[in-house]
Amino acid sequence: MSNVLRPYLAAVRSTLTAALTLENFSSQVVERHNKPEVEVAGSKEVLLNPLTISRNENERVLIEPSVNSIRVSIKIKQADEIERILCHKFTRFLMQRAESFIVLRRKPIKGYDISFLITNTHTESMLKHKIVDFIIQFMEDVDREISEMKLSLQCPSSYSRRVVPYSGKSGPLESSFLLWCSSVCVEKFNA
Amino acid sequence: MILLEPHNYIIQTTLVDKFSKPTSLDVQFVDFDGVRFHLSTPERKTALLLSMHIHCWDELVRYGALDVIRREYGSLVQAQPEPEYNVSLVIDLDTAPPEGEQRDSFIHSIALMKRNALAAPFELAFKKQKELETSASGQGDLMAIHYRNEEAIYIQAAHDRVTVIFSTVFREETDRIFGRVFLQEFVDARRLPQIQNAPQVLFTNREPPLEIRQVPGLKDSEDVGYVTFVLFPRHFANLNVAAGTISHIELFRDYLHYHIKCSKAYMQSRMRHRVSEFQKVLNRAKTEAASSERKTVTGRTLQTR
Amino acid sequence: MSLLAPIICDNGTGYSKVGFAGNSDPSFVFPTAIATRGSAAQSSRSGPAVPAKPGNLASKRGVEDLDFFIGDEALANAKTPGYGVSYPIRHGQIDNWDYMERYWEQTIFKYLRAEPEDHYFLLTEPPLNPPENREQTAEIFFESFNIQGLYIAVQAVLALAASWSSNRVTDRTLTGTVIDSGDGVTHVIPCAEGYVIGSAIKHIPIAGRDITQFVLNLMRERGEMSQVPPEDQLKVAGKVKENYTYVCQDIVKEFRKYDVEPYKYFERFDGEHSVTGRKYSVDVGYERFLAPEIFFNPEIYSSDFLTPLPEIVDSTIQASPIDVRRGLYKNIVLSGGSTMFQHFDQRLKRDLKQLVGRRLEASAISSGSAQKSSGVEVDVISHKRQRYAVWFGGSLLASLPEFYSSCHTKAQYDEIGPSIGRRYKIFGSAT
Repeated sequence: MSNVLRPYLAAVRSTLTAALTLENFSSQVVERHNKPEVEVAGSKEVLLNPLTISRNENERVLIEPSVNSIRVSIKIKQADEIERILCHKFTRFLMQRAESFIVLRRKPIKGYDISFLITNTHTESMLKHKIVDFIIQFMEDVDREISEMKLSLQCPSSYSRRVVPYSGKSGPLESSFLLWCSSVCVEKFNA
Repeated sequence: MILLEPHNYIIQTTLVDKFSKPTSLDVQFVDFDGVRFHLSTPERKTALLLSMHIHCWDELVRYGALDVIRREYGSLVQAQPEPEYNVSLVIDLDTAPPEGEQRDSFIHSIALMKRNALAAPFELAFKKQKELETSASGQGDLMAIHYRNEEAIYIQAAHDRVTVIFSTVFREETDRIFGRVFLQEFVDARRLPQIQNAPQVLFTNREPPLEIRQVPGLKDSEDVGYVTFVLFPRHFANLNVAAGTISHIELFRDYLHYHIKCSKAYMQSRMRHRVSEFQKVLNRAKTEAASSERKTVTGRTLQTR
Repeated sequence: MSLLAPIICDNGTGYSKVGFAGNSDPSFVFPTAIATRGSAAQSSRSGPAVPAKPGNLASKRGVEDLDFFIGDEALANAKTPGYGVSYPIRHGQIDNWDYMERYWEQTIFKYLRAEPEDHYFLLTEPPLNPPENREQTAEIFFESFNIQGLYIAVQAVLALAASWSSNRVTDRTLTGTVIDSGDGVTHVIPCAEGYVIGSAIKHIPIAGRDITQFVLNLMRERGEMSQVPPEDQLKVAGKVKENYTYVCQDIVKEFRKYDVEPYKYFERFDGEHSVTGRKYSVDVGYERFLAPEIFFNPEIYSSDFLTPLPEIVDSTIQASPIDVRRGLYKNIVLSGGSTMFQHFDQRLKRDLKQLVGRRLEASAISSGSAQKSSGVEVDVISHKRQRYAVWFGGSLLASLPEFYSSCHTKAQYDEIGPSIGRRYKIFGSAT
């Protein structure tokens, strides 16, 4: 984790830990129902103040606590078009698999890229600090994954060291093509 | 597989197969850019009829594709192509070259049929450039080959170079962005000393290059990209180099799209990996389910409902 | 450009059959194997190398993800140092999606030379394939390959469709029992109007591989194999199985026939040592009719599986809903290489008829009623395209005009998402 990111993540971690105090709470409207109040938003008294932690205008986390559930929404850093499309693809891919990520919401709330919904059943069946760990790890890894994917797509001109497997039997275009391929998919040697 | 090969794999394997064991057959298959093939034995088992349909055949004929095909295949070419197809070859297994290298190269040349047909305008442009070279000025006609519904290749000869322009359409946003990154990469790669003599590549998005700006009916939208190759005489100095250049340039579009797809596949596998990693982290949070089974004296288990 | 023929891709555990709709044979049949850089052990970890330490850029995409072989080339490169072969499909279901995606990538671009954006695709799936797999497949094909349209068909249904090519089939129905026997396993699958009756499917652990092994055992016992170099023995057994075997109607009579006139029935098989070129020849005898007999009398081969195929088929149909049973008996379709034995269909039909007849009699007696059943029609359909029946059925269906309207198109996918793979439409049957 880079040091610049640390205070941001620490802030999210402590906020989440504090917010994750959930209890079983039956619906006030329908008998024998039990709904995540933050999603229903039916009565004001069970909702707590939502909180935004933001690192800059592109990266922020919205935490909406309520009596029996908490919604965490993350806006992932997207510097340019490539990052935007990669982020979109990645979050979509994740949300497609929301079934297996128990705490993941199938759709992000507006203005954010991905949302989690943690209810009291989750905190009862899972360790609270580990859920927080998961969210933090997720935030960390998502950024890294996207920038790595971007790097693997476009490559800085460090490929000159790479020996192009070029037999020399055909025209110069081929070498350029080969090089292009290797530039697209080059392996950085000095990594 | 990094590069796509210029020859058609199905033609090659089928011919090799039929040479060793002639049987009657009737198959249809395709090649890149909407080329359709039909391979059949209408009369007898040893006479194969191979027909090809190319989207832009009329344009190709105008630029001398028939001559190129005749030059390559000689007497194999049928005067009257099969209906619905543009050109037909008859391959008589009995009179074909004997086994060994000769036959292999014969089969290979047939498998290159599509490449040869598309090579015509390039060869014409190279010839034109030679002619213009002496006058040291002027330029040839702009040849347009609409090899796909919405995409075209434009070729123009000038006194010192041949310009080849591809227009390509990206159907999806992801493709467009990936494609742009790749093409930019391609343009940048030229700055390297090793490939200084590779053809110059330019890439523009949406905006058609100057050479073809006057062409009517160009689509003006965000998903169109134009790639310009500038070929200098050294790229087609002798026949071998020219042939290699043509083979590569023809497949450029398919090559580009192939690599976009490869990268998407790569991204998918990365994401799959990452998902399983996240899954592990999340699973760590789960508390162990209490597995202490309570039993009665007789050994029955108690169930909670 | 929807003029271009749809692509039919039948990826089986052992072999993949790929080609274009409208043809009668697949353009390529090659092993579903992929050889990739890096040892097989390492690759089982799945997923590309992701750096151990954050900040390390070693995960930069290497050429590895383009450096692989599929099909026959994969097996040929199996021994090349640095490559490991893996089989992305296990028991008919896709096991490793990363490999499968790359396998498809190369199938399309290198072998078929098709631009996936211009084509419709018809893929096959085994019966009882979980819907998640269909979703994943749809995701790969629409997102990575941008294909025009996709149809995922159940293999058994395609095998039924393939039987329409037989001239004995008069109505194009998708109701019937499919006996699908490949290399590894044999399934008996009942289908009603294009839907598989999952609860009644039965598996038989006897298939092509076992028959070959059985032929080998028989020939070894008779001492024929002593001439054949050990490394070629299995291959010889396979050749014998493919070229000389048939199903007899009565095993005792057949033995007697052979004993009376051995010269008339014994065949000679000539082979050549694959390395030294030394010639050898072996006599092919009783294994000619004994080999496929293991379907009908499994006790001659295995001691733990003893139910003959006709009984399995009968119990499968009996386990199906009562209103489709007649249709299931009437249309028993064979598919796969291990059903290609001569007279296989006649023997199966005869045995099955006997079983059904006996049951009808028994029920007539036990009910004591004077009314007699009108009888149940039993028919086993064998046809020319049996070996690649699934692929051929796909080719047949995909060349129907309704195919395009039954496909999920790219536009629909974009609208609904991968869950579109869960639904599908049956088409093509006359009913």
